[in-house]
Amino acid sequence: MGDLVASLTAVTKSYRMDDVTVPVLQGIEVEIRPAYFTVLLGPSGSGKTTLLNLIGCLDRPDAGKVVVAGTDVGSLTDDELADFRAENIGFVFQSFNLIPVLTAFENVEYPLVLAGMEPERRRRRVSRLLEAVGLADRAGNRPGQLSGGQRQRVAIARALARKPRLVIADEPTANLDSQTGAAIIGLMRWMQRKFEISFIFSSHDSGLIEAADDLVVMRDGVIQSVRRKPEGGRLGAAAEFEAAAVGEGLSHLPPLPDTDFAFLQEDGRPAP
Amino acid sequence: MTLSLAARNLLRNRRRSLATLLALAIGATAVLLFGGYAADIRATLLTDYVQNGGHLRIQHKDFYLFGSGNPTAYGIADYEKIVKAIEDAPELKAELRVVSPTLVFGGLAGNYEAGVSRPVIGVGYVADDVARMRQWNEFGLPEINGPYALVGAPDDAVIVGVGLARVLLLCERLQVSDCPRPSADEGKAADQGAALPDDIAALAAAEPGAGAAPGAGAAADGVSLELLATQPRGSPNVAAVKVRAAEDQGFKELDEVTVKLQLDQAQRLVYGKGPPRATAVMVQIERTARIPQVARQLRALLDRTLPGHALTVMDFRELNPFFDETIALFNTIFGFIFVLIGGIVLFTVGNTMMAAVMERTAEIGTVRAVGLRQSGIRRLFVTEGFLLGCVGAVTGVATALALAALVNALDLTWLPPGSSTPLPLSIRISSEYGMIAGTAIGLVLIATLSAWLPAWRAARLSIVDALRHA
Repeated sequence: MGDLVASLTAVTKSYRMDDVTVPVLQGIEVEIRPAYFTVLLGPSGSGKTTLLNLIGCLDRPDAGKVVVAGTDVGSLTDDELADFRAENIGFVFQSFNLIPVLTAFENVEYPLVLAGMEPERRRRRVSRLLEAVGLADRAGNRPGQLSGGQRQRVAIARALARKPRLVIADEPTANLDSQTGAAIIGLMRWMQRKFEISFIFSSHDSGLIEAADDLVVMRDGVIQSVRRKPEGGRLGAAAEFEAAAVGEGLSHLPPLPDTDFAFLQEDGRPAP
Repeated sequence: MTLSLAARNLLRNRRRSLATLLALAIGATAVLLFGGYAADIRATLLTDYVQNGGHLRIQHKDFYLFGSGNPTAYGIADYEKIVKAIEDAPELKAELRVVSPTLVFGGLAGNYEAGVSRPVIGVGYVADDVARMRQWNEFGLPEINGPYALVGAPDDAVIVGVGLARVLLLCERLQVSDCPRPSADEGKAADQGAALPDDIAALAAAEPGAGAAPGAGAAADGVSLELLATQPRGSPNVAAVKVRAAEDQGFKELDEVTVKLQLDQAQRLVYGKGPPRATAVMVQIERTARIPQVARQLRALLDRTLPGHALTVMDFRELNPFFDETIALFNTIFGFIFVLIGGIVLFTVGNTMMAAVMERTAEIGTVRAVGLRQSGIRRLFVTEGFLLGCVGAVTGVATALALAALVNALDLTWLPPGSSTPLPLSIRISSEYGMIAGTAIGLVLIATLSAWLPAWRAARLSIVDALRHA
């Protein structure tokens, strides 16, 4: 249990719509392994987003226990949760959710500003992240001046800025064409492998199964199945997406300087 | 980052921000223009009072309440001693401009040539002192009171109010403009002309220092007038005087009763050959703000100089309640306008910020997800309100200053109620630092405050619900 990046035990969640209570999650039990690429698969309305919101500490369960990065987040106050998210979780949203008045550089920089990082260190890290997602030359552009795929790459860089334990991506390719979507998945897979960060990726597209190390299938608010690929299987699956990433013009992805990401150890945990 | 982000957010919807800024700027301008006008009224009134009566007066403690019935009963015998003591006091040297005695008395003024007379209030001044007092101009105003017409004039020269000149049918001979003459008066004056009673003529002739023979009519140096006053012992006394000029006294009631004359002449009229007295000693100082300190020093000085005296020191505001009443009226109107404008600003900025929260709901969810605390969201929106307030206030102040300069350059005049003398219409803003700062800070605070509720609501948004707006 201690090695898990997230675990949910007997979690239920419901929403009130007018006077009706709609159960969304029922008795969820799931474990997310560290430094794995977990795909959460299910049709629309199956509860994927709600589950990701709970794992991402954006929402609280009605019942059950949510442990993320070894912390029972149910006991945290709102401010503590905000700090916890900032330190441990990165988000990639379906609609990119970049701040339109900030440049690509500033969007990636924003979480670091919140963390109070000194400007020079901040600039260095943002530059390398933008370089990693292939947008070094678009650093001064605002989101409105970027394509959908570029925006999502900025969002990925932002998600990684604080060196999180876990990145949650809620249908990050839904607003992208298939080729760009595949490139984004390839990029995330590449990042996940490179830095050994846990990614949880939700989708209702079963064609993405091949990208997953772990596959969690949901239906009607319950987890239908959890499949884990055997060791050695993940590289091959990821390779397909990396090939797609090449098609999107990401083949130039540079080798990242070890010093910049030295915060991650081999097991994906932050360096002391 | 918060400030930069707030500024950029305001530029996002430029039209809406501009409309809000305009509301703020126009509000600030309106408040300041009215405040500047009120400040000018205050400065003008204060200057008028101080130029004519000084900042402080030393008089009998009962004179203010009971003196109008019998002013001479409250005469100060030791007024010269008081004047000298004040002038010699080292602690007052730096404060003083003019120390001058004055004598107020009640009497009767008659234009016997025209067969008219009426009760008057006579005021005796030292002409040179009044001339110096009229040079006091702490607020740099255009000239309010012209040169004092009795400077260098003979003892029997007097100034009358324009209203008194009208009532005594002196306007034509004094060449007072805009001064009507009653139509029924034509024959009357001719019938009664030169009908000065013998006893009054005899009294006037017996008055020491009397000038021209009473009833002699217009002379080269003025128009003749007979002044009758009651001496302290009850006996009447008459002086034949010459009217040098008619001056507007500001109010009709005052204008129809005022006669200003030389102090010596007034003292001879009231006290005859007896020891002269004054009803008050006027003290004009350099700076109005020093009134309380100087008043304290004067009281101490009086106690030292005249132990057991029955005198009091009163400032021009105590002596002229109209001043404070006028200022209070303007302050009330100013406050009302400020509250009105403040309300408009409150709702305008509040509405703008509320719209911004609605538009940026998904963004709020995003930054909260990224790790911004609720307080950070509140700070962001409140900062936007603060920035709107600052820019609006600065724009408003600049606009008000420009408009005030324009109005002041036009040399406009206005006629105060009850007055026949137009006063310069000017707007005092640039020197009113307190008003500028108060208005600007007030509007910035209101703008900031009005952003607080939208900011609070934004901070309280559920992250999950907010993200659904993307």
